[in-house]
Amino acid sequence: MSNLFTLEFITVIIRLTTPILFASLASFAAAVTGIGNIAIEGIMTMSALFGIIGSNLTQSAVLGTLIGVLIGVVIAMSIAFFSMRLGANAVLVGIAMNTFSSSLALFILYQFTGEKGSSASLLAPTLGSWNIPVIKDIPILGTLLSGHLVLVYVSVILALLFYILTYKTPLGMRMRACGLNPDAAKTAGINVQRLQVLSLIFSGIFAALGGIYLSMNYGKIYVNGIVAGQGWMGIAANGVANGSYGLLLIAALVFGAFRAFAIKVNIPRFGDLVGAVPYFAVFVTIIALAIINTIKVKKGNVAEQ
Amino acid sequence: MAETILKLEKITKVYGNGVVANRDVNIEFKKGEIHSIVGENGAGKSTLMKIIFGIEEPSSGTVEYKGKPANFHGSMEAIKAGIGMVHQHFMLIPSFSVVDNIILGDEPVKGLFIDKASAVKKTQELSDKYNFELNVNDLVSTLSVAKRQKVEILKTLYRDAELIILDEPTSVLTPQETQELFEQLRGFTKQGHTIIFISHKLDEVKQISDRITVLRNGVSKGTYNNDELTMAQLTNLIIDRDLENDMDEFKTHKDFGGKNALEVRNIVMKHHSKNILDDISFAVKKGEILGVAGVDGNGQVDLVKTIVGLEQVEYSGDVIINGEKVNDKTVKERRNMGMAYIPEDRMVDGISGTLPISDNMVSTYYDRDDVSKGALLDNKAISRISDELIEKFAVKAKNNAVAVGSLSGGNVQKVVVAREHNTIPNLMIAEQPTHGIDIGSAELVHHKLIELRNEGAGVLLVSADLNEVIDISDRIIVMFEGHIAGYFPDANNIDETELGMYMLGVKRQTPEEIGGALND
Repeated sequence: MSNLFTLEFITVIIRLTTPILFASLASFAAAVTGIGNIAIEGIMTMSALFGIIGSNLTQSAVLGTLIGVLIGVVIAMSIAFFSMRLGANAVLVGIAMNTFSSSLALFILYQFTGEKGSSASLLAPTLGSWNIPVIKDIPILGTLLSGHLVLVYVSVILALLFYILTYKTPLGMRMRACGLNPDAAKTAGINVQRLQVLSLIFSGIFAALGGIYLSMNYGKIYVNGIVAGQGWMGIAANGVANGSYGLLLIAALVFGAFRAFAIKVNIPRFGDLVGAVPYFAVFVTIIALAIINTIKVKKGNVAEQ
Repeated sequence: MAETILKLEKITKVYGNGVVANRDVNIEFKKGEIHSIVGENGAGKSTLMKIIFGIEEPSSGTVEYKGKPANFHGSMEAIKAGIGMVHQHFMLIPSFSVVDNIILGDEPVKGLFIDKASAVKKTQELSDKYNFELNVNDLVSTLSVAKRQKVEILKTLYRDAELIILDEPTSVLTPQETQELFEQLRGFTKQGHTIIFISHKLDEVKQISDRITVLRNGVSKGTYNNDELTMAQLTNLIIDRDLENDMDEFKTHKDFGGKNALEVRNIVMKHHSKNILDDISFAVKKGEILGVAGVDGNGQVDLVKTIVGLEQVEYSGDVIINGEKVNDKTVKERRNMGMAYIPEDRMVDGISGTLPISDNMVSTYYDRDDVSKGALLDNKAISRISDELIEKFAVKAKNNAVAVGSLSGGNVQKVVVAREHNTIPNLMIAEQPTHGIDIGSAELVHHKLIELRNEGAGVLLVSADLNEVIDISDRIIVMFEGHIAGYFPDANNIDETELGMYMLGVKRQTPEEIGGALND
């Protein structure tokens, strides 16, 4: 416990926050146009697997990553097709995608490796880390900022870029308008459906990168159950943030910190229980916010949702 | 007069389900005129406007805009051509600023980004040019309804609209605000804009229009110069029958012992530490209609929720129905005490749109002995009751199995009123009971409320429609910013302008004068 708040612990938090940040961005990107993408967990699973397989087939980590992202986009677009074009219930489509993905991933893994547990037998180049010149030699700052996995930097840059896209560009303003009042957007001449498909594609890319991070950057192989609820944590973070980008990032960080805590704190015989702490934290946060909101409504300090 | 800007020729619109919305409609709109389109609900006004605005395509016929054929595909094409529309239900995003709402869809850019500075400058100049008195950096959610409407109008002007369609623009405004809007519309026409004005309120149509086109059952009954048409002629063209103007005769006044059906005492409710309900006290006697006048958003919604039992915000004070305090009682318990409720939002709170008329006709008293046998619903009885009510309330529908959501607004409201009427209430809470429905349906609703009153029920009528409140109420209170601003013990002796002053907060009575509303 004594070594909890060390530099090293902070780097652990950063490492564990990254996939949740990707998942949170994925959930936010869909929600911003009023779409609920609950298939993030499934997309992360499929992209984690196909990143590794692609990397194995092409013997290139970059190409493997692109293949993983492509899979994420394909799944996102198929969700759009089923729910918007064919009129299926978006939540049911999401549930179907999640359950389908976990069993399909198992089948594909077995086809490629002959094993059902992991991709350990597949020789696949993975993404490494990045040492920032000059900064890496500065004490403390160097440890904090330099030497992280490549996708950690990518997640931070994408979070920033997506903020700018959403809040500073015409496209982003139109996307937000779709989510806030689709009728108003429509009468302003905006093609709401097209922007919703676009936002689902953004969502698919973010979720895919989250999955790829887990298998090709943080881990070096695909393991069954690798996503382990982190997609859902992203959805929870977005729910907690309730449309606020700042809160979204904070929620992702808090959930990531809880995961780091769970790994760091090692209590014999209760390891599994401690491992459940992050999930419990998500649960407590959601309930707490709901209670706070109810009190606010009663006190008349906030309009009913 | 001036040149023709828009010409509709033989427009016919038949929807997929066989409903004929418009048949052979010919209208010419002249540049610079205010041209009203009037007609009952379902007369085809909305469909015609949708065709002009490119939302619907006509089944046959041609639209000519500025001398060229113009069958727009989508509103974007209509907007680009110079047509703007202010919808009855505002198409605004409350959490966006005024400027963002205006530029949405047509944003000025600098490189990849929105050029906020020039957007603010341009929209502010536009607002100032027309004396709209808006700060374009304000959030729309902080604006009054009248100001929101100005934002909607600015949206069309920002896109250089020459022809502006206004759909029921005055339904949410006070008399004074309406006059202000009319002055602005006059200003627009002087600058060469053409206005299409859609309204149910004939006095306003008579006041503002240059020309008037009447639609009935999808067919044009002709376009007339305003000055060649009397109000009575206009009314006859619209409904094809003389309005029974016997409200006064119908108002036979019986005494029911002066007992109160409803008492509200010292209700205070806070929102952001501001009082949204500020010491409200009044009573509704048995056998009277108490009208609550006021511009929307002055506390009426929370007042009604408190009385009905839907309020989630804590409040102090008492709600007393038939002499019994009901603060802690549920909606169902209050209904069992004889309360009935016609909610403002009929589509959301009044009906279940996907269910048949029959189920909706009994949904608030499904457990009554004549509707259910033990634990099971008696579908035969429900069907019979529905048929009786459909007949009695003149609901236009093929049969009682039709989904309520497919009916027109007026008929949906008849279903709600029929159901609530059939609970045989001794207290009726009617919230905006004729908002947005046609004259014929509104008249029926009014008669039924008066009928209830004559049978001894107390009726609380909450309405932003001043004429309605004055026409059928016995006593009137006016709400402004959460308090009762005025109390008028005799609704037959009242001046509309005077009432408007109280609605706008120009005048306010003393607590002693207002105290009369309590019937102590």
